[in-house]
Amino acid sequence: MDKFSRRNFLGAGLIFGASTLFAKEAAKTVATETKAFVPPMIAFPEKKPMKTISDRPPLLESSRDIFTQAITPNDQFFVRWHMPDIPTYIDLNTFRLEVKGSVANALSLSIDDLKSKFEPVEITSVLQCGGNSRKFFSEKTGQATHGVQWGHGAMGCAVWKGARLKDILNMAGVNATAKYVGVNGLEKPAIDETPHFFREMGIDEALTDELIVAYEMNGQDIPYLNGFPLKLIIPGHFSDSWVKMLSEITVMDEYRKTFFMDVAYTVPDNDCECVISGGDFEYKRKPIAQMKVKSVIGYPAPNSVIKKGSRINVTGVAFDQGKGIKEVMISLDGGKSWSSTNLQKDYGKYAYRQWSFSWEPKIKGEYSIMVRAINRIGNIQPLPGDIGWNAGGYQYNAVDVVNVKIV
Amino acid sequence: MKINILIAGILLSATALFSQVTKPIELPYVEYPIEAGDHDEVVQQYCLTCHSFGYMLNQGKKSRPYWTGTVAKMVNEFKAPIPKEDQQIIINYFVKHYGYESNTGH
Ligand code: HEC
Repeated sequence: MDKFSRRNFLGAGLIFGASTLFAKEAAKTVATETKAFVPPMIAFPEKKPMKTISDRPPLLESSRDIFTQAITPNDQFFVRWHMPDIPTYIDLNTFRLEVKGSVANALSLSIDDLKSKFEPVEITSVLQCGGNSRKFFSEKTGQATHGVQWGHGAMGCAVWKGARLKDILNMAGVNATAKYVGVNGLEKPAIDETPHFFREMGIDEALTDELIVAYEMNGQDIPYLNGFPLKLIIPGHFSDSWVKMLSEITVMDEYRKTFFMDVAYTVPDNDCECVISGGDFEYKRKPIAQMKVKSVIGYPAPNSVIKKGSRINVTGVAFDQGKGIKEVMISLDGGKSWSSTNLQKDYGKYAYRQWSFSWEPKIKGEYSIMVRAINRIGNIQPLPGDIGWNAGGYQYNAVDVVNVKIV
Repeated sequence: MKINILIAGILLSATALFSQVTKPIELPYVEYPIEAGDHDEVVQQYCLTCHSFGYMLNQGKKSRPYWTGTVAKMVNEFKAPIPKEDQQIIINYFVKHYGYESNTGH
């Protein structure tokens, strides 16, 4: 099977402003022949041992077996920071969320203010890094991508509780001239010249009902490494703007160009949001936003050896941008035939929908388990060979494949 | 106020110890050893300021254009202060130890 595409890696360098340095490169040289780096399993504060891709800034990936649950426990929820300088202590007596800029009254809100002065709301939502599953791009398409090479474990689903961003903005009184809202948290780069992690959204989006400034995650304080004490929640969207340790909300009349908005976390602005030919940065850019329909297998684990005749409960999770999952199909013969799985409890349109399928393999041999989700507006996951590639490795959502052996 | 932060005492290959504190969290220190030789000291000097070596090791083997582009990104976008000659030493180090020469690159 020749899975090496002739498409080139050309242009990936442009993503990072290294325009002249990137040359064409045969795709076959990049895939899978990686020096095996196995991230150590280490317990960080309030966390069980997790795959530690980096300690500074902390990049902690969840294991695949986390996808056997619709709600991800806080102590196994993935962790992803960008900047190395993260406060190691937050004193709630002095911590304030500043709301400023193009508003009638700037606000300086304590956590108590947020809990007492605004109606508390709860939403169950998936939080997924834009680069989640990135490593599968090179495995499945033969083309390398830039960025942290995550497996599927840079996502989770939790019940978030907090105050509506809209209510906070309304208390401050947004000026009629306001067009954008910028958000940032307390993480800082090691040197001042490095672009700060600053994200922006349109004022209309900021004023929708569903965005919340959360102070609770699954009924507890937000774990320190998930952004204690405040995190912005944007249901249905990739997590690049779900700012951790949220400390400033700046209402702006004008857009501010920044590296983390205009260069990082962007894809070609075309229908497939992918590179059809040439280089990634030859395309007009757009920031990644709404998530794409996706399902992953939580059990069994890849390369499991299972005894013939045993009954196993194949299970996993599925989600989309908030339209709701209609169906998750499963194939046990490498994609030739598909059956329906059973959808479990519905926690809401932004949550994981757990699915399961009872399987009693009767014939020995190698099996490829594949799952494919469709949402209520007909978005369906692409097969691994059909997924469009982008140099930043964003939005991977191809059909998940787990190979097992029946003996 | 209820901050209950666990601090994890980490010994690299050993088990984690837990103890509860109400003071600053202590992040485990993880060593990500890189291969010695070919001026790894230059890499140590410049490439640890903003993140651990986990970021590089996690990339797996990458081509010369990849490493050239990545070092350029660190310098141009993230403003890593690295002199030109040292950038070249770093690129060569990564290509040799964590990469390969690309046959079609220039
Ligand atoms: C001035 C700060 C700084 C220095 C010094 C620095 N980096 Fe980075 N590096 C960054 C930032 C910021 C990121 C993106 C962090 C994130 O998104 O988590 C990054 C990410 C990376 C990544 C991950 C892949 C990617 O493209 O995002 C690699 C690999 C990397 N750096 C290699 C290096 C190498 C090699 C050196 C030494 C030449 C180096 N870095 C020095 C700031 C720096």
